Amino acid sequence: MAKMNKQIKVAGIINESIVDGPGIRMVIFAQGCKHKCKGCHNQHTHTFEGGELVDIDKIISDLKKNTLLDGVTLSGGDPFEQAEKFATLAQEVKKIGLNVITYTGYTYEQLMGYSSERKGYKELLENTDMLVDGPFIMEEKSLLLKFRGSKNQRIIDVPNSIKNKTVALIAI
Amino acid sequence: MITKIKKRDGREVPFNIEKIASAVFKAASVSGGKDYNTAMELAEKVVDYIESTHGKKIPDVEEIQDTVEKVLIEAGHARTAKEFILYRADRTRTREMNTRLMKVFEELTFKDAKDNDLKRENANIDTDTAMGTMLKYGSEGAKQFYEMYVLKPEHAKAHNDADIHIHDLDFLTLTTTCCQIDIMKLFKGGFSTGHGHLREPNDINSYSALACIAIQSNQNDQHGGQSIPNFDYGMSMGVAKTFEKGYKQNLRKALELLLDKDLGEEIIATCEAVNNEQNLKPALNRMEQYIKAEKKHLQKYISDEVILDKAQAFAVKKTNAEIDKITYQAMEAFVHNLNTMHSRAGAQTPFSSINYGTDTSHEGRLVVKNLLLATEAGLGFGETPIFPIHIFKVKDGVNYKDGDPNYDLFKLACRVSAKRLFPNFSFLDAPFNLKYYKEGNPDTEIAYMGCRTRVIGNTYDPSRETINGRGNLSFTTVNLPRIALRSNKNINIFYDELDKKIDLIIDQMYERFLIQAKKKVKNYPFLMGQGVWIDSEKLDWEDEVGEVLKHGTMSLGFIGLAECLKALIGKHHGESELAQNMGLEIIGYMRKRMDDASKKFNLNFTLLGTPAEGTSGRFVKYDKKIFGEVEGVTDREYYTNSFHVPVYYHINAIDKIKMEAPYHEMTNAGHITYVEVDGDPLNNLEAFEKIVRAMKESGIGYGSVNHPVDRDPVCGYTGIIGDTCPKCGREEEEGLHFERIRRITGYLVGTLERFNNAKMAEVRDRVKHM
Repeated sequence: MAKMNKQIKVAGIINESIVDGPGIRMVIFAQGCKHKCKGCHNQHTHTFEGGELVDIDKIISDLKKNTLLDGVTLSGGDPFEQAEKFATLAQEVKKIGLNVITYTGYTYEQLMGYSSERKGYKELLENTDMLVDGPFIMEEKSLLLKFRGSKNQRIIDVPNSIKNKTVALIAI
Repeated sequence: MITKIKKRDGREVPFNIEKIASAVFKAASVSGGKDYNTAMELAEKVVDYIESTHGKKIPDVEEIQDTVEKVLIEAGHARTAKEFILYRADRTRTREMNTRLMKVFEELTFKDAKDNDLKRENANIDTDTAMGTMLKYGSEGAKQFYEMYVLKPEHAKAHNDADIHIHDLDFLTLTTTCCQIDIMKLFKGGFSTGHGHLREPNDINSYSALACIAIQSNQNDQHGGQSIPNFDYGMSMGVAKTFEKGYKQNLRKALELLLDKDLGEEIIATCEAVNNEQNLKPALNRMEQYIKAEKKHLQKYISDEVILDKAQAFAVKKTNAEIDKITYQAMEAFVHNLNTMHSRAGAQTPFSSINYGTDTSHEGRLVVKNLLLATEAGLGFGETPIFPIHIFKVKDGVNYKDGDPNYDLFKLACRVSAKRLFPNFSFLDAPFNLKYYKEGNPDTEIAYMGCRTRVIGNTYDPSRETINGRGNLSFTTVNLPRIALRSNKNINIFYDELDKKIDLIIDQMYERFLIQAKKKVKNYPFLMGQGVWIDSEKLDWEDEVGEVLKHGTMSLGFIGLAECLKALIGKHHGESELAQNMGLEIIGYMRKRMDDASKKFNLNFTLLGTPAEGTSGRFVKYDKKIFGEVEGVTDREYYTNSFHVPVYYHINAIDKIKMEAPYHEMTNAGHITYVEVDGDPLNNLEAFEKIVRAMKESGIGYGSVNHPVDRDPVCGYTGIIGDTCPKCGREEEEGLHFERIRRITGYLVGTLERFNNAKMAEVRDRVKHM
């Protein structure tokens, strides 16, 4: 059972990316998403059936080997559908001095609302430095946006937002 | 009775027995024969024999010649027979050569570049044009001439069999590869391009124009690229002159307006006086001191101090504003000119490179800033400039850390490179570069030429381990995978074979050097005639250049280390530590052979990681014929560039950098490491800079980041374009194709159509490291 908790279900991992947040980042795509946004780039990550289980320890050990990395981006799918496990991963990532960006189809306000009832939401938020929130909306799509797909999506400074109890945006 | 014979082209012509008799007589006369009658008797025998065997069938030339041989031998004329056979073989060879050459000419003439790989051998020459085709006729004709009459047969054979590749063979007897042009020295006192003298330039606009002309003129004397190793230092003087001139003019105008009096001469006299007294000039730095000194002098002519202060303040302000703009325009013109001017019968834009980044003077900094901004802005419609290749010299304490005087320029260089693929980055602190570095002497700062060439060490004259006026003489590449495949995984056989090939290449390059050395100054009117090449200013027009050429390098190149290792032990250096160790051993050994050759000949033999635009496809094509499709070795259309980890192999950027870095130290004739990035790095400069820094920290000598640069010719958007332009939303099918700039062998190429087949395949296979 202990082993199970140390595994996350992913659709795939990109070892190094420059398009999923500032700096050089490992990107972990969670398997499973309920938002089913029209025009989503990663349709195959929606089902909760597919994907593969990966040890968190293995991810951490890979991260340690790559000295060029700035951080990890949790993408998907929606990492909040496996919030507990991704929270554990995020915590481990922070421990080795890397930062965490989380992409989600929920809005920040929704996540805050769920955080008392849904396990791991609070912890995953607390271990996220930067949150890209909200569903992808076809009508708001722009190819010129940095690190985002549609204009409704926000880049949020999570620690400051929690501290000040109001959404703090990051201008990128 | 024979009345007709059939010629090789199928035509039937009247038979003439005299022709046989005359051929026999010629063969006999080689060994002293003088009797034409005997020759005629033998010719009659030939005719008799053919009539008896052929009946009424018309004989062809080959049949007659076969019969001549037979008759000569049977009649006991062994020596004449031998001569006749030799003569016949020689004629056959010449005929075949002519046919082959004519076949090549036919293809060059009637086929489009897109259908003919030969026409795309060099992606920067447009062989669909008249001048481009003319260049190719010359080049192909020259190659065949050298193969037949100039090269040692064993060198020609090794080249034709693809054991080795003699680069720029078409220029074998004509010139040398490349040169690092010291523009400071060239501009001093002016120079001549052969059609009149150009005075020493006096403002930054002329500096920029003359720099282009220097590159263009030198390009016509050499077959490789042209490089300016000290661009910022050289151009800075133009800025200084422009500032001084501009300030004096502005002050004169201001005073004339305020006082209604022209003080032009007084201002010039004052300037000279101040310079003599205090070594001060109107300049971007120490201007306050100059103003003070100048004021004292000018008060002799101007009593109203308020007016004088006002005029001086105006002139300073105005000149400061103007100098920035003028310098930008000069740099913009420089970039535009290098992309439009042509050399080599108008077929080719000069292969130009410029190195800069270490001049911390105000003027030098202004040059680099504006050069980078002009490059960032692009050409007239915002296109990415293909030339010059920019090389930004990274040096700790000068531009690497926050607080270093040129740190801002390093940051700017990263930004521009993230958009335009240039500058590349050279690392002065890499130990093998640092050992030559002497602070305050730009002539000791490592410079790279374009695709990767590096010339600084000097066995021939260790007191001249410098950059300026030196370059590569020639280079020849060994087919490493072939040797590995031949050795059948036996490492001893591998090294034996490698030794033989290296011996052959040293001999071939030395032979070539002897030809080059016999050339005279007049054969290189600019390179030698204008004193661009080191010490050539000491020679006269009719002097041979052999002695001064000894400062140049002869380089053994290699490609396909990855495939070589695959063939030897089944893995390449990206895949296994064992392979990496073996790779380092092989390349280290090749370097040692070059060092030994340098000592033996007292010349500069160096080791090069060959870029191999044409060679990468040629070698593997031949090897596939010999060895079939060998997994990981001959199963692609190209061999991997120099010591690179294969482009198709997935590897983290930092691992690739660390894997390739040790080879930089060994390849003293040049090297480059690329990291492939997927995505627009302009949106993520942190990442871009981090890669460059990782290169520096890992001991890379020269490196660059590859990323897609696309452009929509309709709206002008530059960045990454998939099927849809992010800016105007246009789909590619709707009209003009999007332009897709990619880098091959160090040079940028504007459209994929100009790539040769092997390079097209390589670009397709490139995996992104991030």
